[in-house]
Amino acid sequence: MDVNYVGENLLPGQIGQFFVILSFGAALLSFASYFFATKNPEEKSWQNIARVGFWLNALSILIIGMVLFYIIYNHLFEYHYAYAHSSTTLPTHYIISAFWEGQEGSFWLWMFWQVVMGIVLVFKAKSWENPVMTFVMLCQVFLASMLLGVEVFGSRIGSSPFILLRDALQAPIFSDPNYLSMIRDGRGLNPLLQNYWMVIHPPTLFLGFAAMIVPFAYAAAGLWQKRFKEWITPGLPWALFAVMVLGAGIIMGSFWAYEALNFGGFWAWDPVENVSIIPWLTLIAAVHVMIAYKHTGHAYFTACFLSLISFVLVIYASFLTRSGILGETSVHSFTSLGMSGQLVIFNVAFLLIMIFLLVVRRKEMPSTKIEEDIYSREFWLFIGALVLTVACVQMIATTSIPVFNAIFGTNVAPPIDPIPHYNKWQGAFAVVVMLLTAFTQFLKFKRTDAKKFWAATIASFVLAIVISAVIIYFTHIYTNVMYMLITLTSVFCILANLRILGDSFKGKWRLSGSAVSHIGFGLLLIGALIAAATNEVISVNSSNYIAVAGFDQVEKPGENLFLTENEPVQMGKYRITYVGDSVAAPNVYYKIKYEEINEETGEAKNAFILMPFAQNNPDMGGLIGTPGTKHFLTHDIYTLITAAASDSHKSIQGNDEDAAGFDQYDEPATYLVNIGDTLRYRNGFYTIEGINRNATLENMPVAADDILVGLQIKVFASDGTQHSAEPVFLIKGGNTFDFHKDVEAQGLRFRFTKILPEENKLELMTYQKPLPEKKWVVFKAIKFPYINFFWCGTIVMTVGFGMAIYRRIKDGRATSKRNA
Amino acid sequence: MKKSSIILIVVIAVAIAMIMVIYTDSSTYSTFTEAKGKQTELYVVGVLNKEKDLLYDPVTDANHFSFYMYDNDSTECQVVFNGSKPQDIERSEQIVLTGKMEGDVFHASKILMKCPSKYNQDEVEVIEMESTPVTASLN
Repeated sequence: MDVNYVGENLLPGQIGQFFVILSFGAALLSFASYFFATKNPEEKSWQNIARVGFWLNALSILIIGMVLFYIIYNHLFEYHYAYAHSSTTLPTHYIISAFWEGQEGSFWLWMFWQVVMGIVLVFKAKSWENPVMTFVMLCQVFLASMLLGVEVFGSRIGSSPFILLRDALQAPIFSDPNYLSMIRDGRGLNPLLQNYWMVIHPPTLFLGFAAMIVPFAYAAAGLWQKRFKEWITPGLPWALFAVMVLGAGIIMGSFWAYEALNFGGFWAWDPVENVSIIPWLTLIAAVHVMIAYKHTGHAYFTACFLSLISFVLVIYASFLTRSGILGETSVHSFTSLGMSGQLVIFNVAFLLIMIFLLVVRRKEMPSTKIEEDIYSREFWLFIGALVLTVACVQMIATTSIPVFNAIFGTNVAPPIDPIPHYNKWQGAFAVVVMLLTAFTQFLKFKRTDAKKFWAATIASFVLAIVISAVIIYFTHIYTNVMYMLITLTSVFCILANLRILGDSFKGKWRLSGSAVSHIGFGLLLIGALIAAATNEVISVNSSNYIAVAGFDQVEKPGENLFLTENEPVQMGKYRITYVGDSVAAPNVYYKIKYEEINEETGEAKNAFILMPFAQNNPDMGGLIGTPGTKHFLTHDIYTLITAAASDSHKSIQGNDEDAAGFDQYDEPATYLVNIGDTLRYRNGFYTIEGINRNATLENMPVAADDILVGLQIKVFASDGTQHSAEPVFLIKGGNTFDFHKDVEAQGLRFRFTKILPEENKLELMTYQKPLPEKKWVVFKAIKFPYINFFWCGTIVMTVGFGMAIYRRIKDGRATSKRNA
Repeated sequence: MKKSSIILIVVIAVAIAMIMVIYTDSSTYSTFTEAKGKQTELYVVGVLNKEKDLLYDPVTDANHFSFYMYDNDSTECQVVFNGSKPQDIERSEQIVLTGKMEGDVFHASKILMKCPSKYNQDEVEVIEMESTPVTASLN
């Protein structure tokens, strides 16, 4: 069917699609050329071709990004991506989030960062450029294929962001050449993603993922080129960089979850969270083993294996989140785009490269025959890496239950309550890891004096017991052994590393980076533990629940509280009032006022207003709440609207009824009145002041024999205001008419309907609007104590990684100078 | 004994313990009939009965929401949820409940809904069809 569509702007899509194909071709060319350049190092031309391919690929990716942004920014809804992820009402800064809401955009982001890594490598990697870039470009080939959207032998490869709406969807309207004018707006961005953290979190996370290819590539290149020992020095800063960025990205995601999501927490062991933390932990393990190898020559295989497996796990993570396989177990994974096959091939390809290199080089790898000494740092670094790996295996095993179901056709459900399931394992692993991180600081590489070691360790440990006892006492976590152990070991770790940091001020600055990041991690763990273990729902609704019939055990009190506008409710130490709402389309902000009441004087102090908001987006699943959080130094108060009267949302959509109808009034009351009478109404009273015989009507000529009379009414409202109204009665040509008058402010309508001369009475009909339904909200409030440790620890840890990178780069330069 | 063998034994022991715990912690997707026989929390997968009323009156109790659901064997059962009504439950095409049976009523502690995805193409068609006449008349 050939239809000449009207108003489509097809050029950007064609340009974009051209560069999508070019990016794939260029990546393939660059990969192949780098491969041959590595095989034939004396032939310079291979490297030149490879670089041309790389720059072409870089250019294509840049243009794809610009074109896609142009399409979304200009709301070209003929393109499916713009239609599915944005709308005309979306504020400009969220257009950026819309850009990477879809899988195509996030693949683009990944490729973009990989290009940035590539540029650094092309300029800085020197003799490593060819083998390392071979692996980077191979990964780029796979990623570029994800955007292709081309049919080969009947199966579609990739999903192009430039696909047209009429090609992506089948709908009758596309038979109309003018269909574009019928599409008023796109479906918009998921309200949960309309958060400033969603502008910054995905780029950081993907920078972390993209950076993980570099340690993989160095490790693989080292094995391939048999430059076994050399790769560690240049690979280490890259590994640290990947760990730093990925860690920051993951915590940003957790901050987003805390600020914008409504599950009431910052970590839920959701599969999506697990799969991003697993490669982070394995690469951290890799970093430690790499350092151990550098100093002692032990554990070469482990260092390689962990560096390689980390990136394979990154691909596995993207397979899990993008293939739709997590469907029933995860709240926030991508839905399938039918590319699972492609993702599996991507994953298996890198897994096979890893296995192949490790197997082929197994005999040639450097190894030591002597066992590590127990009193040596490298031994315990190795043990620590092993513990982290085992911890990851536990997470992968549970997270992968849907994958096992898919492979073996079983129907096993994941644990009912995942949080305790993960906590009991990861808590135990955390204790061991923190203990190792603490006492290993007192060990030296190769051989340590046992006496000195025990003296330093025991001194710090005793101090740690004292400090953690204080923390445990004040945070009330003494009921749980695991919590106490984690606190103790984390404090121990912080103290031990503080000692190292203290030494670094005396000149041993080299270890300061690791000390700072260890301290940061310790703080992070304590903060996460206390906030997660002692957070309490403060909106407990104990008085107002209904016992369920035939259910005699005591129902646990509900966690949601019902609030009517301007009716304060006491909640713990706070008096809470819902003081109204304000509308900033498409969001409705609910103002919840918190006042701390002094019990003796009854005075309110520390008042603050929280403004959680909600967005009613029927396309995205109704009312979606975004919490409001008040940050204090020692705790946060978090408030989320879980239900609300729908009025405020209606007024956004402009469905106000016609003011002239009688429908919105209650049944009228009819009175026979005289002048001077006083009558009550719901909100006050009104008096009949008099009769106006000279009443006039607009647009209505009055003939000589017509009778036109107004009834003067004065309304005294209970709030002290006065209003007057004059309904009119008309007899024209023997017919009677009446013209009502409204007092809008009081919701009153008067009709002067009859004159009864023989009884000397006047008939008055009074209409009243029903009382407006009081506005209400249902909300949930949670207190998170000491969560600032968590954020603060993250920042300290990131700074520590930065310091470590600086040191390792400097070391690297020193080594290359020595070798030169 | 060599240190490496000791480490190996410890790792294997932990690994076995982990597999056992994953096995015991894991659950199964079951039905209301099966839930009646068990006292433990479990998953029930099913669809919402859209004919019957969804009961949620925040004015009387903001933490009580009840509805009727068919499980995969088409058994109908009343479900009570101690919390506020999930906003888009009417639109859900599949519901995964976590909870247990108390008498004839299923008490859910968690409700996971699968809503028509915004990527779901059939759904788009319907929404598109509804909005078309309004705009078309403007042309």
